[in-house]
Amino acid sequence: MRVLDRKLIRDFWRLKWQAGAIALLIACAVAVSVMAFSTQESLKSARDLDYAEARFADVFATAKRAPLPVARDLARIDGVTAVDPRALGFGLMRVPGLLRPATARLIALPDDDARALNRIVMTRGRMPDPNRTDEAVGLKTFLDAARVRLGDRLTMTVDGREFTVRVVGSALSAEFAYLPGSASQMPDDAHQAVLWAPRPVVERVTGRGGAFSSVSLSLAHGASTPKVLAEVDRILAPYGGQPAIARKDQVSNQFQQEHIDQLGVLALVIPPVFLVVAAGLVHLVLGRLVDTEREQIGLLKAFGYGDLEAASPYLKLAGGIGLVGSAAGGALGGWIGGLVTGLFYNYVRFTHIAMRFSWTAFAWASATAVLAALVGAAMAVRRAAALSPAVAMRPPAPAAFRKGLVERLALWRGLDQPTRMVVRSLERYPGRAGLTVLGLAASLSLLIGTQFMFGSVDEVLDQAYFRARHWSDLIGYAEGRDARAAVEAARLPGVIKAEPLQAAQARARFAGHEEKIVVYGVDSDGTLERPLDLHDRPVPFKGGAIVSDSLLARLHAKPGDRIEIEIYQDRRPRVVLPVTGMSRDYAGLGVFMDRLQLDRLMGDGDVATAAGLLVAADARPQFYAAVERTPQIVAAVSRADTVSAFRSAMLQTLTTEMTFYLAFASAIAFGIAYNICRINLAERGRDLATLRVLGFDQSECAYILAGEMLLLALAAGPLGVLGGQGLAQLLVQAFQHQDLRLPAVITPDAYGRSLLTYLLAVAVATALVTRRIWVLDLVAVLKTRE
Amino acid sequence: MEPDLVFQVRGLTKTYRTAAGEVRALQGVDLDIEHGEVLVLLGPSGSGKSTLLNVLGGLDRASGGQAVFHGKDKVGRDLVPASDADLTRYRRRSVGFIFQFFNLSPSLTARENVELITEIADDPMDAREALDRVGLAARMDHFPAELSGGEQQRVAVARAIAKRPEILFCDEPTGSLDSASGIKVLEAITNVSADVGATTMIVTHNAVVADIAHRVLRFRDGLVTGIQKNAARKAAGELAW
Repeated sequence: MRVLDRKLIRDFWRLKWQAGAIALLIACAVAVSVMAFSTQESLKSARDLDYAEARFADVFATAKRAPLPVARDLARIDGVTAVDPRALGFGLMRVPGLLRPATARLIALPDDDARALNRIVMTRGRMPDPNRTDEAVGLKTFLDAARVRLGDRLTMTVDGREFTVRVVGSALSAEFAYLPGSASQMPDDAHQAVLWAPRPVVERVTGRGGAFSSVSLSLAHGASTPKVLAEVDRILAPYGGQPAIARKDQVSNQFQQEHIDQLGVLALVIPPVFLVVAAGLVHLVLGRLVDTEREQIGLLKAFGYGDLEAASPYLKLAGGIGLVGSAAGGALGGWIGGLVTGLFYNYVRFTHIAMRFSWTAFAWASATAVLAALVGAAMAVRRAAALSPAVAMRPPAPAAFRKGLVERLALWRGLDQPTRMVVRSLERYPGRAGLTVLGLAASLSLLIGTQFMFGSVDEVLDQAYFRARHWSDLIGYAEGRDARAAVEAARLPGVIKAEPLQAAQARARFAGHEEKIVVYGVDSDGTLERPLDLHDRPVPFKGGAIVSDSLLARLHAKPGDRIEIEIYQDRRPRVVLPVTGMSRDYAGLGVFMDRLQLDRLMGDGDVATAAGLLVAADARPQFYAAVERTPQIVAAVSRADTVSAFRSAMLQTLTTEMTFYLAFASAIAFGIAYNICRINLAERGRDLATLRVLGFDQSECAYILAGEMLLLALAAGPLGVLGGQGLAQLLVQAFQHQDLRLPAVITPDAYGRSLLTYLLAVAVATALVTRRIWVLDLVAVLKTRE
Repeated sequence: MEPDLVFQVRGLTKTYRTAAGEVRALQGVDLDIEHGEVLVLLGPSGSGKSTLLNVLGGLDRASGGQAVFHGKDKVGRDLVPASDADLTRYRRRSVGFIFQFFNLSPSLTARENVELITEIADDPMDAREALDRVGLAARMDHFPAELSGGEQQRVAVARAIAKRPEILFCDEPTGSLDSASGIKVLEAITNVSADVGATTMIVTHNAVVADIAHRVLRFRDGLVTGIQKNAARKAAGELAW
């Protein structure tokens, strides 16, 4: 081994804590990339395996009742390779042990499983006997959550008909890999039952002999999905067809894709912050190292080493820090990736579980990280290379201080000498102070910018379930019913108040933009559900459409514009309405109309698809028992259950994610504070030891070191808060999707938590360095020239 | 009459453990130092003179023996078993230091370097007065980088005596200076230490300096091998090397 390499290794060892703190930041950057892309790969490959095994469809459509021969028309659409029509029934199911009835989907099993689409995968038990009329297979997630065992009997009411089945098997389905609760974005497994029974059984129960109500299609490679969707819509329109959706808009697939995409955003936004800070620290640490070793560099050159040879150890040192950080980051990222993938499998139940490590991401992230470290080293290396031997071997001139701006202030005279030393040092090295402040601000930004989500979830829930909606329960009908049904619902036990609600799938168009939306019809004098504006004031109905802010943004429309709405109903009525108000909605894309106006538009009379209810808490068991006996009700939603399911699901995920962000962002603050303190200690060591000799005690000397750090940490505060708000906005923009748009609500709680963590990280790093003051060698310092 | 002692040193030993084995830097030093004395400690490198200075200055702890300091309150305190905090308090209240390499804080002006001490001392003189005594009142707002080596060392002298120390330790105070600057520094040391009544101990390799002492201590192998009393002290200004 060459002597210079031996020196390199010893330098690395000598600087191990400082190098380690920088490597930690690099590790964080690489870890986030590796975690994000490994999780992406894991999820994609699990999904792809599932989709291939299930023969997952490319297009999905529903109709009220379409005769089976219509399926042949669908099969003739250009690009369609397979059509799988099936009967589908909705109803409520009483589940022993659960207070609230579950929403049940009864789906016909295909006659020929080999040619079917969206095939289920058995996990336990067996398929139903085709010759029996009382056997079914249940969705595993429902069976597990509702504690239903194989052999148990379940009774459901479909279209008013009671039907009892014995569960003989448990299955997973790609179609329901992610299944949100009714009126929610979060799973509510125990209350979302899916049962598969032989076709004749389902046709009998749903009264759809010779007809289908749901159809899936697979497409040839290269087929035009929009054209197929349009054709399917056209063919199914006379049969009460709802808009056909492509695989990308299928609820389960869309949820997965959005989360997979979010991981990519993370990998793009977070790592650069770490790498920039790491590069800055490499710059400062190596700069200091070159300064202290200038005599050695000069000596090497005097011996005949070339400029590059003499400077190369510093470059290698930086590269080494990059490599060590990358290796650690790869391991860390793989581990966190496994955790995050595992969390995801809590929501999305794949039959295949894949855990992948993205070597590609690791290679790219490592290369970028090493490059960042080298860039950080560039200035120090250049300085080392440019040193002339003669100059280098002379000791450097003593650090020249001069009086700065602060000294003109009146408060200067009140400062003691140690404080003056702190202030002068900051004035002496404004570049370093500036870099430190920027780095610390980045850390604080990352803390604040990622801690907002707890507040966001609260705001979303509060707005959606307590301010805009005042119902405690919601019952949903299989299809539109006479609004008097909702009035009758007021007579159910425990119901204090009931109001009819109407919801219809639709498309909104404006100036060439088109969005799939839901139109909500609400009684204009209703109190249980009403659109609220951005300031939580009820928006009055003025004969037009009240459009949510997010839909307006997507349509590029504004209040006063006239938008076209096409309702997905047999006759496909279209209407052009002025936007008379703007409402806030964090979930979905919605338009509010006066329910009677919507009724007129649809021409089906006074209709409701749901009823919002205010139910006395102590009358719930009687209320649910009555609901179960009421035909046509297919969903019973409880606000309390929805909110708690949402909160607990979000909390579990967020707590894990936030913990990592907290740790990562603290690593930045720690890495910076530690390195800057070490540099200060190295530069001040002699000064501080002199002070000790002169009779200052350890804590007085520590004050000089810690005081500077504290000042910088406080100076970074306002900048970090601003940056955090910016980052929160950026993440909110990047994460928003159709189902859920989290607002960037940063609560005092989140600020407090972030600031505390930040100050703690700085304090720990500073303490680790300042404790060295306690072991300063007072004798040695008197004998050495600086 | 009982002499007015500042230090009573008895059987003082100091042993360092190194990788190569034990180094016995002090092998049993006995010494009495009188109030107001100027002592010059001479000897080759490693003879123990600096080790004695460090122990008496409260920078290092002896391995054995006694080093009893009699302060203004006339209470004798042995430095050998003293705690870190005791030594810090001792240095803060009673001791002035002057180092070979000045050890000024580069981020403080001359006046502020002195104020560093006057802010924590019990009965300090004004920083300006201290600088005036070493002839640097006119340059007190300069930073160390703006002063010559000799001037820096005179600032260090001002810093050392500003607290009116009872004892002044000077470790090679002229070691980094040319002779003209060195003599000026020695003048400053002897004059101001006499003014404040400080006992002064000067460690040096420069035998010429011995002429300004009341007594000269010669060191070899960790022992005081000779004590020479100067019948007639020279003033620093009369020295030449």
